[in-house]
Amino acid sequence: MAGDIQNLMMGLGIALQPYNITVAIVGLVLGIIVGVLPGLGGANGVAILIPVVVTMPATTGVILLSSIYWGALYGGSITSILFNIPGEPWSVATTFDGYPMAKSGRAGKALVLAFLAHGVGAVFGVVMLTFFAPIIAEFALKFGPAEIFAVMMLTFSAFVGLGGTSPLKTVAAILFGFILAAVGMDIVSGQLRMTFGFVDLMGGFNFIVAVIGLFGLGEIFLTVEEGLNIEGIKARVGLKDIREGLAEIIRYPKALIMGSLIGCWMGLKPGGATPASFMAYGFCKQSYSNKDEFGKGASAGIIAPESAAHGAGTSATLPMITLGIPGSPTMAVIMGGLMIFGLQPGPMLFKEHADFVWGLIASCWVGNFLGFFLVLAFAPIFAAVLKIRFAIIMPIIVYVCAIGAYSVNNRMIDVYYMIIFGILGYLFKKLNYPLAPMVLALVLGDIAEQAMRQALIMGQGSPLIFFKPPLALPIMIAALIIFFWPLISTWKRKFPGEPVPTS
Amino acid sequence: MRKAEIFIAVLLLAIGIIAVVDSVRLGFGWGMSGPESGFFPFYLGTGTILCSLLVLSNVFKKYKKGGAAGRLMPEGALTPILWVLIPATVMIVITEFVGLHIAAALYLAFYMRAVGKIRWVTTIFVSLLVPMSLYIAFDKLFLVPLPQGLWGARLIPF
Repeated sequence: MAGDIQNLMMGLGIALQPYNITVAIVGLVLGIIVGVLPGLGGANGVAILIPVVVTMPATTGVILLSSIYWGALYGGSITSILFNIPGEPWSVATTFDGYPMAKSGRAGKALVLAFLAHGVGAVFGVVMLTFFAPIIAEFALKFGPAEIFAVMMLTFSAFVGLGGTSPLKTVAAILFGFILAAVGMDIVSGQLRMTFGFVDLMGGFNFIVAVIGLFGLGEIFLTVEEGLNIEGIKARVGLKDIREGLAEIIRYPKALIMGSLIGCWMGLKPGGATPASFMAYGFCKQSYSNKDEFGKGASAGIIAPESAAHGAGTSATLPMITLGIPGSPTMAVIMGGLMIFGLQPGPMLFKEHADFVWGLIASCWVGNFLGFFLVLAFAPIFAAVLKIRFAIIMPIIVYVCAIGAYSVNNRMIDVYYMIIFGILGYLFKKLNYPLAPMVLALVLGDIAEQAMRQALIMGQGSPLIFFKPPLALPIMIAALIIFFWPLISTWKRKFPGEPVPTS
Repeated sequence: MRKAEIFIAVLLLAIGIIAVVDSVRLGFGWGMSGPESGFFPFYLGTGTILCSLLVLSNVFKKYKKGGAAGRLMPEGALTPILWVLIPATVMIVITEFVGLHIAAALYLAFYMRAVGKIRWVTTIFVSLLVPMSLYIAFDKLFLVPLPQGLWGARLIPF
């Protein structure tokens, strides 16, 4: 504990260097803009900047990438409150009460409430990150290939069993992602796989290109299809709003704490922020007596989902940095950035690059703190970004996406892939194939395969190695239960068990 | 909706078959040094084939009962999507010749004027300013080289 605080201080020393602070502010501003604009999400915003980041020192680069993420978390709530358009999927739940409140002339207060909730959610998440990450990393040092593979199974099972979409389509999407990852050179034997003599396929598919296509272009197609018509509410955040917001948020400690805790918990498992915000909203609605006020501009209905979304977003850093398993596409892209710097996320990172890890954790504190004041001070200006006609913004987004896709590997073919992934992303979204697990499979493909093959070699070909006690066994069993959860729950509904005996 | 469902399922099926065929070529059993190259892809491919077949059978079952069930996209949505897709593709093809920034300038101007009906002044202003500032930011400041195409190096002499 004391050691952690000492490390954190050291990290703060790095994160508070003037250059790093400047970079963090630039990242936050970009992130907020990314969050405000529909059609340009956190994952995509981070992915586009990867080539720029490579020119910086590792810590600074990752501070930039994560700042964009924090900014996007904050920015999403501006659009959902003022325009009733969720800028990000995790701010959908905020539109339920945020927009009605803004419509009734209290836009400033709604914004302040949302930002305060974000701030508190962030603090919860960052505290958890600071004090649990070292413990989990220490524990994960004991993991061998079999355990790593089991943890990955658990990750993907969570998408299948708890993802909410069709389990069958989720499995299909995951397998598709893994197959895409396998294209190209086999890292173990050096043989070429599924290239069929095409030189372009030898390099395989880069997941950053996939992210830009699936989330960038795919999202644009969806936005264009819906036909954006933007009618915003004018808002100014004055001192009075801040005072009112502060007074109001103190009256709803339950919503705040419940939201933050749900967020932190959900953030640990994959696909966190969006379900966390919905769950927090639902729970909160159940637990307050003034249920009928929800949906008409209840303060608690803003606080709960917003704190949950930010808590989840922040705590998602934990599995990424300690286990090398990103919980969301955005985290996956940030992890991709780490790997470009030659930093392999996982327990060893804490041992080998302690200065980097603690710099990153400290920058979570700094970034979220700065982000709070940035959005509070400049929310109306950021909202004005949406006043620009979509016909101007859209081609610029496509242009920037093309830059991002090209500069990952300096290959033109990647830009064509981006278009194909865009069409695929649109169709997948329409047909309820989940994109997040597919991207994660593409990211983790090589690591998962390597872990599986090493484990099998260790077990001399017997798959029982994945069920080896004491570590792999419980993880694998948990993975199987979660994987078959949809089946178990329907089975339970069909056969409700023994009738409850009545005395 | 139904056609799209079938299309994607068949696409996945084809990808699964490709994976299996290729892993049979590479060998998917136990080699000299543990699992062979095709080991992992083989099971991925098999799984994908199974999943896509199940999805297909679900689709047929569902639509036998309920008909084609709704359109994939709302009426008239295809046009704006194609208006995004085709110019973007054309931009990339032009990039091969004149480089990304010039292609993007043309693309921005075209989309804003022809699709967005933005005023000429704004169109010209934005479509010159944005590529120029991105050119300076990426190519000059961050030294991230972007595609120049066949003649790009001669078209931007500085």
